[in-house]
Amino acid sequence: MIAGRHPWGSNQGAVAFRKMSYTVLMIGVLINFFSYAIEPEHGLFSLVMSFAFVASVGLGALFWVAIEYLTSAVWSVAMRRVFEFLAGVIPFLIILALPLLFNLHEIFIWTHKSYIKHNSGMLIKLPYLNAISFTIRTIVILAVWVLFYELMTRNSLLQDTTHEEDLTKRNIKLSAAFMPIFGVTLTLFAIDWLMSLSPSWYSTIFGVYYFAGASLAAMAMGTLMVVTLNENGLFPVKLSRDHYYNLGGLIFAFSNFWAYIAFSQFMLIWYGNLPEETAWIIPRMNGSWAAISVILVFFHFLVPFVGLITRSAKMKPRRLISISICILLAHALDIYWLVMPAYSEKRAPFSLAELSFLLISFGFVFAVFAQKSKRNSLIPVGDPKLKKSLEFQI
Amino acid sequence: MNDEKLYGLTALFDSPDKIVLATRAVVKEGYKAFDIYSPYPVHGVDRGMRLKQSRIGLVTLIFGLMGVALALLLTWWTNSVNYPLIIGGKPFWALPAYIPVTFELSVLFGAVFTILGLLVIFFGFPQNVHPLHGTDFMKRVSSDRFGICIEAVDPKFDSKRTADFLQTLGSEKIEPIYYSLLESPGVGTILNRKFLLSLLFVAAVSSGLTYLTLNKLLFLHPWISLAEQIKVLPESRSTFYVDGFAMRQPVQGTVARGHMPYAFVGNMKGAEKFMINPLTPTKQVMELGRRDFNAYCSPCHGYFGDGDSRLQGQFPNPPSLHSDALRQASDGHFFHVITEGFRNVMPSYDQQIPEEERWAIIWYIRALQRAKHAKETDVP
Amino acid sequence: MIYSPGRIVDYTQPPPLVEGKSIATLIDESIAVQIDRRPSKKYLAALLVTLTMVLIGSIAVGYTFVYGIGMWGNNVPVGWAFDITNFVFWIGIGHAGTLISAILFLFRQQWRTGIARFAEAMTIFAVICAGLFPIIHLGRPWFAAYIFPYPNQHGIWVNFNSPLIWDVFAVSTYFTVSLIFWYIGLMPDFGTLRERTTNAVKKVVYSILSLGWRFSTRHWQHYEKTYVILAGLATPLVLSVHSVVSFDFAVSVIPGWHTTIFPPYFVAGAIFSGMAMVLAVLIIVRKVFDLEYLITMDHMDKMAKVILATSMMVTYAYLMEPFMAWYSGKSTEWYVVMNRAFGYYAIAFWVMIVCNVFLPQLFWFRKIRRSIPALFIISVLVNVGMWLERYVIIVTSLSRDYLPSSWGVYSPTIFDVGILIGSFGLFFTLILLFSKSLPVISISEIKSIVKGAQPSYRMGEDHE
Repeated sequence: MIAGRHPWGSNQGAVAFRKMSYTVLMIGVLINFFSYAIEPEHGLFSLVMSFAFVASVGLGALFWVAIEYLTSAVWSVAMRRVFEFLAGVIPFLIILALPLLFNLHEIFIWTHKSYIKHNSGMLIKLPYLNAISFTIRTIVILAVWVLFYELMTRNSLLQDTTHEEDLTKRNIKLSAAFMPIFGVTLTLFAIDWLMSLSPSWYSTIFGVYYFAGASLAAMAMGTLMVVTLNENGLFPVKLSRDHYYNLGGLIFAFSNFWAYIAFSQFMLIWYGNLPEETAWIIPRMNGSWAAISVILVFFHFLVPFVGLITRSAKMKPRRLISISICILLAHALDIYWLVMPAYSEKRAPFSLAELSFLLISFGFVFAVFAQKSKRNSLIPVGDPKLKKSLEFQI
Repeated sequence: MNDEKLYGLTALFDSPDKIVLATRAVVKEGYKAFDIYSPYPVHGVDRGMRLKQSRIGLVTLIFGLMGVALALLLTWWTNSVNYPLIIGGKPFWALPAYIPVTFELSVLFGAVFTILGLLVIFFGFPQNVHPLHGTDFMKRVSSDRFGICIEAVDPKFDSKRTADFLQTLGSEKIEPIYYSLLESPGVGTILNRKFLLSLLFVAAVSSGLTYLTLNKLLFLHPWISLAEQIKVLPESRSTFYVDGFAMRQPVQGTVARGHMPYAFVGNMKGAEKFMINPLTPTKQVMELGRRDFNAYCSPCHGYFGDGDSRLQGQFPNPPSLHSDALRQASDGHFFHVITEGFRNVMPSYDQQIPEEERWAIIWYIRALQRAKHAKETDVP
Repeated sequence: MIYSPGRIVDYTQPPPLVEGKSIATLIDESIAVQIDRRPSKKYLAALLVTLTMVLIGSIAVGYTFVYGIGMWGNNVPVGWAFDITNFVFWIGIGHAGTLISAILFLFRQQWRTGIARFAEAMTIFAVICAGLFPIIHLGRPWFAAYIFPYPNQHGIWVNFNSPLIWDVFAVSTYFTVSLIFWYIGLMPDFGTLRERTTNAVKKVVYSILSLGWRFSTRHWQHYEKTYVILAGLATPLVLSVHSVVSFDFAVSVIPGWHTTIFPPYFVAGAIFSGMAMVLAVLIIVRKVFDLEYLITMDHMDKMAKVILATSMMVTYAYLMEPFMAWYSGKSTEWYVVMNRAFGYYAIAFWVMIVCNVFLPQLFWFRKIRRSIPALFIISVLVNVGMWLERYVIIVTSLSRDYLPSSWGVYSPTIFDVGILIGSFGLFFTLILLFSKSLPVISISEIKSIVKGAQPSYRMGEDHE
């Protein structure tokens, strides 16, 4: 019989973690205010990065929850609640979005009438790229995400007490409906907030690229949480090396998937050599951005590839934790690489604003996780497949 | 039966649980030279046998990396060093374009050598002469039973005691396996006559086929289709023309490109009367004329047109260019002589000297003629 | 346990991985019996039909070799049409096989076992069919060896910057790796057949093919690791091969071809069409060879779900392309969208949309996923739709690119169609020959997953 109330919520470590994440978040917000005061645009760009990062982790986590329901996977059931907690950032995304929505003029060049006047190609995009439809789109997308998040997690939490099998069936149906909507909304979100920073540029694979980064980051964050908790005896049940193997395998696979998508996009633009497409790549291949690009490939692909390729590596907790941290930092670097060249084309800036990006992003996710796990069980206690999940062997 | 060498004792079991327990018991008993047989891999048996993890992954890694190195070397050397071409405006070392090939070759090498390593090195395959082949044990074990075979070479092996031990494990059938003559260790070595003869045969056939392909087949149609073209080769025989010549004269009135036909062929009087020197005596024209005269005309006419060349009066030593007749002759006369030659003693120079240069030479001759009959007023 | 062909299986029971009370000998018999039995009249009739199709194709190819590519409808500007459509189509068919055997293996989806061997065989045959097209579409196919970078006296190397050469490497690698992956899976089965057979000739053949496999655990241990490694190599290979095929188009600059989403779009489309072909063929095979108890309704259901998922990925790409064409503001890109929908090839386009986007949506409904006729019809139509997708992509973009004075349309000739028929004939001939000569289901693998195949408890041991 698996315990309902578990030691995590009242544990000293948990309390410390909660306090630490709020502190990090607050410091990040303060530094962001400070950098906004010095240079408003830079501060806002850093907030855009935080928004994109937190959204990617949250949506990626919800994606993994949906995948588990759709494939009727058993091995991951014990860990699903951790991913649900990570997805818990979704209702709070509006907090990050609002300051940005009120300051679109500072961030997006397509809000400037002079830019549109000098670039006739922008006229056709006007119905799509104007402040009003952009805002409406963002609000609607966030609302749709919150809707699915609430419905699915409510069922899952309810199951803790009622143990109804019907709730699983309902979540499977919700997951099936969620998937296509997730694909479209995540793509539009990425196009709006990341691709339109360079409004004359376009790439049909961009949505897939953001998805690859998001799912990988969410899996890395989830793995980090699960393995850290499990190794310190704070997880309500004992997960085995076999569970770790699957987590490691998914990180390995999706890291390779990201590299494949990134390379496809790069190579096709490089090969075609069309000025309207290379205009986005060239700043990222020169100056200090070139170094960032190399570092990105190294830490986002090569290090996880070499670090997780062997079977035994995928089962080592310390390896999983270090590679997860590496991937999360690399994902932050990826967002930085996507966003900041629109702000500073020649030089890769590193200042208080970038520091605030890191602090806000990680603080936000950790704080939400800590808050959610305070009241709710770290494992889906009422899930009928939980017992089988713990017996999983590879 | 008695003088046949014993390979080992086999025992059959009918459930996976029994074979796992039996495995552990065999290991516990201290046997080392044994093996467990099953129609499919049974979980827990390899661990029960205390087998070390397979190192086949190392083979994959090494050869995969070799594939990467080879691909990069190949693409770099062919497209950047040996025959660099500017393709699509890309640099000679176009790494993004070489990534797909590199990836494919690494996978190819990794996969192929893993299998070869597995089969040849790890398994020692092909090996169709093993004592267990064709036995009832192998028949059951390849179908629906699980089996143990404890080999006679094991130090702890004893026919009676091992058989009793296997009995205690709950096997349903215990059977000794003997080497047949063919299977005795040492028979299936690489120096086997049959093997060497078949190897020789394969070598002969493959080299013969290669020779025939490269030296005979590739010289047939369609490979030589482009080499055998329906066109006329020089010096060849023609069955079309009556005279048998494939090479024909150009059609009447054909002129070379950039060449105007000479209007006064065989017509010295016309040339003298109608041809006019189109050049003006500038310094360049005079220099050109002097250069050409010294090159083409001086061997016979001498450097000053006197006729005192190295011919030294022998045939066909020309007369002096400074005679009254020639001083009065028109430029057209000189042009005609250079173009057509003169009375079979001077050859035609129209192939060597372009028309313009002939006129320059004529100006130079005029200069020479004037020099030979200079007046006091000519000197500045 | 006597197995009687044609036994009705109860589909209302909760599906275990392998239905019925099959034990190892039962499996041996029911799978091997297909090889031992004389070919039935129906089999020979089917073989006759497929061989006729091969004959038609051979005649068409013969005309092409002797009289040149002018026998086809290819022209300027449409230099690629049926030839490359068929090439991409068949490579795509091959991918589902590798997905089932390698990728589902890595995801530890045990339901793949009943269909993996057959799917792998289909991959190899599909790649054979595909690999013929780059050769026959050459002007001088007898110089096909020139595409390989061997030391030569031509005075020139192959162009490694060109995706056509990447294709050579990708397809060769894919064929080789699929073949050895398939062979490694077959090795233990050859061992089983070797021990079972009483025919002297067959015994020699199986002995050679099994290489002396003797079911030793020491060998199984290396074997299993190798199998995982090969599956791990085959997975990125599948992704890379169809991505390289998509690069054939995407590295160009003509509108409709130069778009970054092609690699994942083509891979998803390949799995989509391949899975539909596997489903259609398996429906026939399980009926003809009485293998309903090993290839169950549950398998069909799961394959239908994969088809639905990949259909939605393809639909995503169908939505992205027009959106970006509009967003980019380039009139040439938008024209491609309009031309595809309302131009000369509009019928092909709309049939493709119906078959690829709308029909698979029926698979949301469990009743349809579990109805054999519905599964078969939808699978066949999905294949039609995916063939048309490649045709639409290739021909519309070539017939209308940047310079209007160069525009021109394409119509297939009887030789184009003949070669297409021939490729299908070759594919089905190879499948028929395979199903009569080799075990269509992996004997050793299926034995390992039936109930009671593995030890009942972990026996107190923990993983290292």
